[in-house]
Amino acid sequence: MTDQNLTHLETWDRRQAEYEESRRVGPIKATFDRMLRNRLLLFGTVLGLIVLGAGFVGPTISGADPNLQNFSATHLPPGSEGNLLGTDHLGRDQAVRVFIGIRVSLMVAAGVTLISLAFGLVLGMFAGFLGGWRDRTIRGVVDFVWGFPLILVAVLFAGGLGEGLFPVILAVGLVNTAAIARVVRGEVLSLSEREFVEAARAGGLSTPRIMWRHLFPNILAPALVLASYYVAVAIIAEAALSFIGLGAQPPTPSLGGMVSDGRNFLHINPWASTIPGVTIVLLVLSVSLIGDGLRDVFDPRLRHEAKGVEQE
Amino acid sequence: MKRVLARTVYMVIVLALSSVAVFYAIRLSGGDAVAARVPASASAEDREAVREQLGLNDPFHEQYFDYIGSLVSGDLGNSLTNNAQIGSMLTEHGRNSLILGAAAFILVFGVGIPLGMLASLRRNSWWDGGIMTFSVAGMAVPNFWLALLAVWLFATQLGWLPSAGCCSPKQLVLPAVVLAMEGLALTVRMTRSAMLENLNQDFVRTLRSGGLSEVKVIGRHVFRNALVPIVSLAGLRIGQIVGYALVVETIFGWPGLGQVLVNAVLRRDYPVAQFFSLVLVTIVLLSNWLADVGYSVVNPRLRRG
Repeated sequence: MTDQNLTHLETWDRRQAEYEESRRVGPIKATFDRMLRNRLLLFGTVLGLIVLGAGFVGPTISGADPNLQNFSATHLPPGSEGNLLGTDHLGRDQAVRVFIGIRVSLMVAAGVTLISLAFGLVLGMFAGFLGGWRDRTIRGVVDFVWGFPLILVAVLFAGGLGEGLFPVILAVGLVNTAAIARVVRGEVLSLSEREFVEAARAGGLSTPRIMWRHLFPNILAPALVLASYYVAVAIIAEAALSFIGLGAQPPTPSLGGMVSDGRNFLHINPWASTIPGVTIVLLVLSVSLIGDGLRDVFDPRLRHEAKGVEQE
Repeated sequence: MKRVLARTVYMVIVLALSSVAVFYAIRLSGGDAVAARVPASASAEDREAVREQLGLNDPFHEQYFDYIGSLVSGDLGNSLTNNAQIGSMLTEHGRNSLILGAAAFILVFGVGIPLGMLASLRRNSWWDGGIMTFSVAGMAVPNFWLALLAVWLFATQLGWLPSAGCCSPKQLVLPAVVLAMEGLALTVRMTRSAMLENLNQDFVRTLRSGGLSEVKVIGRHVFRNALVPIVSLAGLRIGQIVGYALVVETIFGWPGLGQVLVNAVLRRDYPVAQFFSLVLVTIVLLSNWLADVGYSVVNPRLRRG
């Protein structure tokens, strides 16, 4: 027997066990218990909470100005008196800047996720459920957008709208919308074959009502899980674009911009780029772990799709 | 054959539509192009005169067809910042990008496929573990951060390789490796899983029981089958390399198409930005077309459709 068949059996067994458990203790508690048991998710959540906490509570506690320059205290190493993570080439406090940078990253990620989730869900559901020429049109546009490298789209947007976070959010949101719409469409196509949709149709429900009451609740969990995967994509893209100067503009502190500022001083103060760089990696890692964990908890079938988005 | 033709027609239509979109997008920043040409103290009339001279007041479709006409006649115009001829920029930077892109492409497949095979043939060994860890890390670390780590280690600390510049073989190493890393990691994963899938097939057992040597079973049968999904995605890898080249070329100061485009956008040099946007969009569309066509060529099941 091949490995693949084995995994299917395991998945089936697990789903059966999950079903029985949710019958016993109720669906909400069963889901929550599963979340706690998932070590990846737990680790990712703890890591994420630490980074998030640093981003949101950090600046409030210190109350310091991220752009305050102090030329008598440049290039301090981490652990210096009054500058927990040291200072950069202008003597600005690294800790405060990293905290605000996390906030900027998360704001971009939130904007991108809202845009891509909203439009991706609507487009994917319309294409998958309505079919026909609407499906062909939406699919044509979505496949076209999806075929472009994210960074190239963002550079084109920056070329049209100027540099800044707004074009970055639009560009990344656009490409992620296409990615989410593709998967949602596929899910809707397979859901439309199921008996409950058939039953709703036979019962004479209108198309909008079937889509809203019967398809939407079934599609929401996998879409949210998928969106969490694209949060990581958005964070990396924002950092990369800020790094090459097309994202956040000074004086707004952003993690990518800080890595870029620090790279001219690698030989005297490697910390200046290392600290924001490690922060980006931690942020991305925690978001990916949360995404992977959520996927395992809510929808084991999505495992292949989230990993294989690029391979279709 | 029908599919190839359909994809080709689709690509041409999409290319035409994208050229309009790119043209329009870059034109949106036309006001800045005027600002770049006149001193800040210039009067409103002066600005208007420059707008008129640049043709920014003509109807949009006229501007577009003028532009396409001048492209066809080979008159590509000059850069606003250093007055360099765009045509000669294209040959020079295009060549540099081609060198870097080809090196990355060779790394993606020339290193990725053997590593993936090794991992699949020594499954669950230390080799497998090490290669797969490397692959996961290659996908998780953002490439600009990888670039910086590589510069810090190999240029600043060890002094083995130069940190930036073009175009000696030594200067090529770091940008090519960084540019290739994510595609390489993906290729390793795909090769491993495709090999494993084929190794478990019944025909492999039949071949082995027929007395065929292991080298021939793997080389002639398993590997050939496993290659299909990997090679058919070569086009997608090209698109990915084009996207990342924008970042990697900028970091390493590699004067290729990506760096030219990023700098042109930053300096609002809009004839350059417009032309090189079109060039990169065309490359991406061509490679997507190649991916589509390649897939139907190597996958006989799709040929009828």
